[in-house]
Amino acid sequence: MTIEQAARQLRVREVSAAELARESLRKIHAEQPRLNVFITITEEVALDQARRADDDFARGIDRGPLQGIPYALKDLFDTRGIRTTGGTKIFADRLPDRDCAVYERLQAAGAVLMGKTGLHELAYGVTNSNPHFGAVRNPHDTARIPGGSSGGSGAAVAAELVFFALGSDTGGSIRIPAAYCGCVGLKPTFGRVSRFGAMPLGCSLDHVGPMTRTAGDAGLVMDAIAGYDPRDDSSSREPSRAVAKEGFSLKGVRIGVPENFYNERIVPEVAEAVAGALQRVEAAGAHLVPIHVPDPEAINVAGRVILLAEVSALMEPYAGRRGDFGGDVQALLDQGRLLAATDYVNAQRLRRKMQREWYRLWEHVDVIFTPTAPVFAPLIGKTEVQWGEQVEDVRLATTRLVRAINVLGLPAASIPLPSWSLPIGLQIIGQPFDDDFVLAVAASCGC
Amino acid sequence: MTDWKALAAARCPDIPADAVARITPGLEALEAAFRPLTERLTAEDESAVVLANVQERGE
Repeated sequence: MTIEQAARQLRVREVSAAELARESLRKIHAEQPRLNVFITITEEVALDQARRADDDFARGIDRGPLQGIPYALKDLFDTRGIRTTGGTKIFADRLPDRDCAVYERLQAAGAVLMGKTGLHELAYGVTNSNPHFGAVRNPHDTARIPGGSSGGSGAAVAAELVFFALGSDTGGSIRIPAAYCGCVGLKPTFGRVSRFGAMPLGCSLDHVGPMTRTAGDAGLVMDAIAGYDPRDDSSSREPSRAVAKEGFSLKGVRIGVPENFYNERIVPEVAEAVAGALQRVEAAGAHLVPIHVPDPEAINVAGRVILLAEVSALMEPYAGRRGDFGGDVQALLDQGRLLAATDYVNAQRLRRKMQREWYRLWEHVDVIFTPTAPVFAPLIGKTEVQWGEQVEDVRLATTRLVRAINVLGLPAASIPLPSWSLPIGLQIIGQPFDDDFVLAVAASCGC
Repeated sequence: MTDWKALAAARCPDIPADAVARITPGLEALEAAFRPLTERLTAEDESAVVLANVQERGE
């Protein structure tokens, strides 16, 4: 069932918010031993919020389509009085005294919080094999990672424990678990969703966005959480470009198909699935436009320099607690401390230069289709991907097709493609503030 | 190329030598990829992060 369907049922009293919450809790408790999706299950909060949603319905108060809908938050969104760990031992017992902006907005929308989901430590990695809270497992194959860092959120949606979840995306952390778990994930345009009260990782790269079962549902969540917030310096007053909610068609939509980079080192099943999607959208009237994409590899490299420096600067106060970080995160923190300030500045200059080059693409295309990840979800514990004679680090392989889009601040969704085996994601990249258009294209792809 | 071992000893002596040894290959690879990119920059290329000199926007 989607949010849209549940919202209809709630309004004709076919189901109550309390019943939805209890059913969600039943599934969560049943699946938690298998998947380890949640760090904290907020059972009392959920039942209380569900009761309030039902009371509002009874009094004729309608806060919109999320009223009474069960959801989850990645455990880096501050929730007053509910521990918020960031997936790290450093903050294992942290009780925020404030709510983050998106939780404020979801409370105002009447949504029902079921819990805080597991993540890669500090959101700084893609495996979600967390040394402090255990590995989150992929619902499609528990021997595999869900992807990260918002892996708990992706797994919670894919296992249908909740109707939606929020994640954060600094180098692919919403789109990767969406691809590996088989759900929809949207990294909005930089500035569209407030980051106030979300634990930062890379201050110039962090984005907050929804993970859902359908693109339509992602739009409903965006309607509730997006918008200007003066408490977030990156927050934008620019709305998403309007798209007709009904009757949207792919006819005439110009879809950029990269002839470089995005088709290199991809497993055949992923390449075939993306080719199939391109055939379907062309049959639906879209124009496929071959494009040469300006140097995503260079943007990735600049993005890694920026991220290493920003995270290590942020975590500098904890440099003395070496034993409290997992080995992979500690190694990244060490690397960032050794980078030169000049390299960080030059990476930000390269970023601006590349951003200008990408702007020219939008004269020729409306969206760009790429794979989200070049491989299926790796097995837990696997550290390398083999490409013939070459090996590639799992983190670098998994982020290779998505990281540049954070650096550019563009909206991008990952949607599941038909697959006979494990989930495969299609990345749909749009122009700045074309978030609704990206989701409309995604919905037209049958998602 | 940067002597990461010497740099770590001077700037971050709290990072143990074995940890420096583990991260050095990654830093070397990143530096090898990044350094040529900076040659594309000209004096006119500004940073993506700029100070927005606007009034505080309390609302």
